[in-house]
Amino acid sequence: MKKTLGIFGLLAVICAFTAIANPNFMTAYNIQNTVRWTALYGILSIGVAFVIMTGGIDLSIGSVVGLIGSMLAWMLTVKGVSVPLAVFIILLTSLAIGLAHGLLITKLRLQPFVVTLCGLLLYRGLARLLTDDQNLGFGADFEGLRTLATGSFTVAGFAIPVPFFLMAALAIVAGIVLNYSVYGRYLLALGRNESAARYSGINTDRIVILAYVMCSLLAGFGGMLFALDVNSVQPSGLGEFFELYAIAAAVLGGCSLRGGEGSILGVIIGAAVMRVLYNSINILRIPTHMEFAIIGTVILAGVIVDELLKRWVEKRRAAARAAAQ
Amino acid sequence: MKRNLAAILVALAALAGCGGAPEQAASTPPADGATPTATPATGEIRLAYVTNGIDPFWTIAEAGVNAAAKDLGVSCETLMPPKGIVDQKRMVETLLSNGVQGIAISPIDAANQVDLINQAAKITNVITQDSDAPGSNRLCFIGMDNYKAGRAAGKLVKEALPDGGGIMIFVGRLEQLNAQQRRQGVIDELLDRNVSSGDQAAYDPPGFTQLDGKYKILGTRTDNFDYAKAKSNAEDAIASYPDLACMAGLFAYNIPSCLEAVKSANKIGAIKLVSFDEQDPTLNGIKDGHVQGTISQQPYEYGYQSVKVLTALAKGDNSLIPESKFIDVPIVVVTKENVEAFHTKLNELKGG
Amino acid sequence: MTAAHGTTLLEVRDLSKQFPGVLALQHVNLTLATGEVLAVIGENGAGKSTLMKILAGVQTADSGAILLNGAPVNFARVKDALAAGIALIHQELNLADNLDVGANIFLGREPRRYGFIDKRAIHRAAQKLVDSIGLDVSTRTLVNRLPIGHQQMVEIAKALSVDARILIMDEPTSSLSQRETEHLYAVIRDLKARGVSIIYISHRLGEVKEIADRVTVLRDGKNAGELAKEEIHHDAMVRLMVGREMTRKRLRVQHGGAQPILEVRGLATPAYSKHTIDFTIAPGEIVGMAGLVGAGRTEILEALFGVTPALRGAICIGGHTLRPRTPREAIDAGLALVPEDRKQHGLVLEMAVRENISLPSVRRDQHRGFLNRRAESAICGGAIAQMNIKTPSPRQIAMLLSGGNQQKVVLGKWLAMKPKVLLLDEPTRGIDVGAKREVYGLMEELASQGVAILFVSSEMEEILTMSDRVLVVHEGALAGILPYNELTEETVMHLATGGHRQAAAV
Repeated sequence: MKKTLGIFGLLAVICAFTAIANPNFMTAYNIQNTVRWTALYGILSIGVAFVIMTGGIDLSIGSVVGLIGSMLAWMLTVKGVSVPLAVFIILLTSLAIGLAHGLLITKLRLQPFVVTLCGLLLYRGLARLLTDDQNLGFGADFEGLRTLATGSFTVAGFAIPVPFFLMAALAIVAGIVLNYSVYGRYLLALGRNESAARYSGINTDRIVILAYVMCSLLAGFGGMLFALDVNSVQPSGLGEFFELYAIAAAVLGGCSLRGGEGSILGVIIGAAVMRVLYNSINILRIPTHMEFAIIGTVILAGVIVDELLKRWVEKRRAAARAAAQ
Repeated sequence: MKRNLAAILVALAALAGCGGAPEQAASTPPADGATPTATPATGEIRLAYVTNGIDPFWTIAEAGVNAAAKDLGVSCETLMPPKGIVDQKRMVETLLSNGVQGIAISPIDAANQVDLINQAAKITNVITQDSDAPGSNRLCFIGMDNYKAGRAAGKLVKEALPDGGGIMIFVGRLEQLNAQQRRQGVIDELLDRNVSSGDQAAYDPPGFTQLDGKYKILGTRTDNFDYAKAKSNAEDAIASYPDLACMAGLFAYNIPSCLEAVKSANKIGAIKLVSFDEQDPTLNGIKDGHVQGTISQQPYEYGYQSVKVLTALAKGDNSLIPESKFIDVPIVVVTKENVEAFHTKLNELKGG
Repeated sequence: MTAAHGTTLLEVRDLSKQFPGVLALQHVNLTLATGEVLAVIGENGAGKSTLMKILAGVQTADSGAILLNGAPVNFARVKDALAAGIALIHQELNLADNLDVGANIFLGREPRRYGFIDKRAIHRAAQKLVDSIGLDVSTRTLVNRLPIGHQQMVEIAKALSVDARILIMDEPTSSLSQRETEHLYAVIRDLKARGVSIIYISHRLGEVKEIADRVTVLRDGKNAGELAKEEIHHDAMVRLMVGREMTRKRLRVQHGGAQPILEVRGLATPAYSKHTIDFTIAPGEIVGMAGLVGAGRTEILEALFGVTPALRGAICIGGHTLRPRTPREAIDAGLALVPEDRKQHGLVLEMAVRENISLPSVRRDQHRGFLNRRAESAICGGAIAQMNIKTPSPRQIAMLLSGGNQQKVVLGKWLAMKPKVLLLDEPTRGIDVGAKREVYGLMEELASQGVAILFVSSEMEEILTMSDRVLVVHEGALAGILPYNELTEETVMHLATGGHRQAAAV
């Protein structure tokens, strides 16, 4: 909770700063866009958060996004597969990818970094092989399906993008699983001490496998939304570096790369920080080539301030306790 | 293994060449025979066509490559580097160690790839296409004048906005000479700068803006070929600049991305779009009146001409190379008037 | 030496220190005379370590005073304490074991010559120190080549190199052999004769009796009493530490006739694949497993519990036969294991006490996959009460508890699972006398409720006092089974060291 507060503070500061510097930041249009992108990237971050909480990592997310996005466009536009069947196939494929990762990592005891790094290459290659490296788009078709990514519901005069609802639903489910289910408790326990979890009768392999399955499934679902949103799928490019955005959001949101720690709300806010930063740089009319430098600096500064604040609070508390004695 | 060995030898030869006198090294190939050279064709002539990335644009060019290869009875491999300059270099090195009789390349970073091109030129015939490397030993350049194409795009903007307005430029990245020249052409045309060719143009920095005058240059946004980023760049521009009147997309996918953003913002018509190249959404957008027009570079011709010139060179015939070393493939300005015919012909070429 | 023997060198007045949720020290007083060996004893968590850390400048006190030669001092850092002549030798040695002895002794204070480390000066000075404490090694030897006992001596030499007048030794003998311990005593006596004062912390009351001039006892962060040289007796020390008399009366039961609850048949562990093990345990029976270190006792428990599945054989619990491949299968069959290394295998240190206690039971108590918080709280509360776990709250992080209380948490985990057979691996290792007593009490209580208990121990006294029967393991094989009436130190050691069981086999 405390960690979430820190990252929320960073988000608030960036938003306030940008809104003051350029009121266009607060237009409904811009907020809708930023919310939509946050939702799309946030879905990937929720998935990777589970893997990070086991103490693992998934570097293949971006390539899964690319493969699934390419598959969807390819099946719908080239092969003429029906929409329900295509969606079913891509979800099944993502599930199989996660299952393969999980099995290799638990049963064969391969390192998650290696397994998913190879996945990163493999799925990108498969995407390009499948589509003959051709760009694919939905053109003006599949309006209904595309509503999933580009549509919105108007609530109190404000059009809320559909992906936001999707992300919110996923986040709520993920939060409940993490905090109120036996699975979540086991996940947190094994992330901190896998051996102790095993000695307590936890089937650790199954927990880890499930985490990778969820991660790939959400990456695949995200890949579908990205393809539908962008409406033009470049098999060699769609999703590149998305794993890093997802991991960065999860870690900003309080997940420890050592495992066993994390909050879903924090992860979502972490994803929002990343997106708002990108958005703010454009809104503030800063030339694009400076964006990486700015994002790196702001996040680092935020993390440093958060750490210093925490120490200061801790010191004050200790002092207060001493005084109370 | 053998291939790796050959690649190492090529690299060593390159090092030797760098240290000593390059001219000499070029005229007397190493005698050990291990270094692949452009040995006169004993059988089929093998050529290579190297692009600067993966793009539908290059798919059309590939169709031209394949058509020419078929017509001339040679084989030509089309290579698309997925990860920029490092991949491109690797591909060229592999080609050299495999031995090809000619390479047509679109250098990603012309100024800094002179060494690579010169190295390749020692071993085989090298021409540039699409984007030139002016300081190198390439035999000729096949393409268009990107600066002039940029100015043509600028004219389209002027037609779209007779009363002036704010323009935002979108491009994949600005390191490439063709992107720089196109952008400069657009800017110079809009600001009515009196420059006749790209060589004389001053290069405005990436953050360049010009906020007074009839045509306001609001800025240039790059996306590093990330389509999601391209779309959000367009959205952010719409949010940030209420006075935005026109988007100029310098790479093929830029305007399709912008079109998505403009559509969902309900700004069709309010924001004019000027494009490069001939992706389907762009052409359909022109038909629907959503896009003002596009500058087509005729990539099919790039491919076809490259193979034709390389085949002649491989046979020892230099006659196709003009004095200026520049084979101009004229641009086509596609607007509502000629879009139907253009699209039909394009589909024929792609199909063939 | 400036002060004569016997004058007060160090005085601690009214020292208090608080950690989140725990009052570690409350108004503690202590005096130390020149050339005196003062033993500070107390249960784990009594505040000994905290007190020593404050004296050595590792931590600072919240209130109270430290007087050195009558003048108040304030150590903000270890450096300050060292400058005042106080050096702490940690229980875990702090040597850079890739460097040689000389380099370790002068680590961070290397004499220099022309800007370079003057190795010759280092070794000259270091050799003198090393020789002075009777350590027969070259200062050019790499520390990782030395046995633990010698490394300890290097630590002492290091402390002497800064002219320490007060040496604090925290459990110095915990990993020393008998001979090394004797040597340490000799060094301590020698240091004492040279006027160095020593604060000696130990759990081993026999040692305290041997070496200490005076004993200060801490209990629950407070002074519990002091014993002068002539008052130092085992019982007196225990009485002050625990605050009550230690008594043990256990009715030994012969379980020969009862139907066994656990039957182990032909069990072969991967570590000793050639040997097979057979034994049975009756309900309510406490069986000890003795043997030398490395005899394969832990491996047997781990095979029974499915941690490292057995190669062959099976176990039969209450009529249900299986060969567990995972701890979960073993748990489902009614087994529970308190592992030897509680930090590695027993606890999730960063998790709350409550979550640790409920870890095995949340699955059983779940509501369709969801946690049953009410059941969890009940189980946790029950375990804390029954085990007398000292924690400020069930939400305290397990890491912050003392060793004994951590061990009670591990035991508490299994209470709610109502195991038929409880396996314990070195259940009292590294915990204090009070917690030990509580662990023994729990073992007896569970046994009286019909739970079969199998425990591994390297402490002979524990084996002899707690077991109804003893399995002795030698090199992976069962060397013999001793019933209560044949149980002596000699019979156990005889079997453990490879002797054969004479006469009446089981």
